[in-house]
Amino acid sequence: MANVQETAKDEPGFEPKIVAFLCKWCSSAGSDLAGVSRLQYPSNAVPITIMCSGSMSPMFVLSAFNKGADGVLVSGCHPGDCHYLKGNFYARRKIYLVQKLLQFIGLENDRFRMSWVSAAEGVKFAGVVDEFVKDVKKLGPQTRLKAKR
Amino acid sequence: MIDVAAIKAHAKALLEKGTVRAVIGYRNSTAGLLAEPFVFTGPESVDDLIYGPSCVQNLALYLVNDKKERAHHKSDDARPVAVVAKGCDARAITVLLQEKHFLREAIHVIGVSCEGTGVVDTKKLARKLGGKHAVEIDFDGGEAFAVTTADGVQSLPAAEIMAERCLECRGAHPQLADIAFGEAKTDRALHTPFQAVKHKMKEEQDNRWSFWARQFDRCLRCYACRSVCPMCYCEECVVDSIQFAVLPDTTAEEKANRIKWIERSPNRSESAMYHMVRAIHLAGRCIDCAECERVCPVNIPLRLLNTRLEMEAFETFDYNPGSDMNAPTLTSSFKDTDPNSFIR
Repeated sequence: MANVQETAKDEPGFEPKIVAFLCKWCSSAGSDLAGVSRLQYPSNAVPITIMCSGSMSPMFVLSAFNKGADGVLVSGCHPGDCHYLKGNFYARRKIYLVQKLLQFIGLENDRFRMSWVSAAEGVKFAGVVDEFVKDVKKLGPQTRLKAKR
Repeated sequence: MIDVAAIKAHAKALLEKGTVRAVIGYRNSTAGLLAEPFVFTGPESVDDLIYGPSCVQNLALYLVNDKKERAHHKSDDARPVAVVAKGCDARAITVLLQEKHFLREAIHVIGVSCEGTGVVDTKKLARKLGGKHAVEIDFDGGEAFAVTTADGVQSLPAAEIMAERCLECRGAHPQLADIAFGEAKTDRALHTPFQAVKHKMKEEQDNRWSFWARQFDRCLRCYACRSVCPMCYCEECVVDSIQFAVLPDTTAEEKANRIKWIERSPNRSESAMYHMVRAIHLAGRCIDCAECERVCPVNIPLRLLNTRLEMEAFETFDYNPGSDMNAPTLTSSFKDTDPNSFIR
């Protein structure tokens, strides 16, 4: 991955690294469905399964950017569909605040995104990732919050 | 005008009767203009108690420290502790009560209204005096401060030397108080709340980043902002690996396996991470006492960063930290009307 950071902005060789935090009950199953249905979508998203989008700590987002992620996606069940009844409502508030803070600091808006993907929405998941990768590609590598090690 | 003698008499009576363990208040400091927080334990020591525009510190911090100290000394004195609280201090105490940091019965709040004024900003004052050294500052009527320099006493309009946060203050009268001094004035000449944040938000995103990058580059990671914050009471700080408790039975494996979210080195990315974690942890809890900004040795505008999410809490979620000790906290509650359009 070392050469990824060296490639210039807009260069066709740049493949963004996206960390996708997916809730176990909906979005993970949705991504699974996208795979099982053999949908074509970019392989840039690294999925990390979390128990619920409500268990998503803002630390995870910040840490991912610190460790060099070009984009972070948080995905959970649709409102009202949470396996734990209201986890995604808490997530919605929390993620909204994180997003506002990141934008205020000056991180590009398109680098952090949240989506609702149910277990039946394989096509939607592929679409969300596809769109996200396209947007992040336009921005180039994320250098603002990445640790220089 | 606030009757300091009445506050003194009340504090003295409390200590003489022995209904409280101690009174946390202010006294004149030997170093500079600002008052120093002091724990008055005997009725005779209360003679030193003062209240004025130099009382800038947030005394809620000393309640948090008091709790730590009592746990350390295994104190079994169950009497409450009294605390002198301005509007902002009372809000901080309310947030701590809301989080069940201590019981309501454990504190006796001596509320003091800031009335039409607030506390002084020493940087603004120094600029105003143009090199002259202020030795004393006191209230001068409802809208001015009497500043004593070597040349004598002069009266300055409070709005010109008041702290920024006092100008934007939305609750100068303590809502939580067992006894309140001073009158509750609501017709203060205020700045619009959150005006600094709103001004910053109008800037281009790239400019905002270069602004914050400059600030984070300067951060020394002295953790003064964390030490002075009454809301930063965690025993172990998630972003500071040195703070992890090491007990006699902590194994080497446990030490090695602790998650190190960020490095302690003061460089841009790590400092950015530190300040953002603090801002997130303060979302819906920061009561805008601006102590972090005041103590910062390199003048990082931390109040600007921390009030960003306060603005979001107030305007988007209709949540006002420190207004109700029985309400659920911002991130432990939700509404059906919360913004949803940002989610795809």
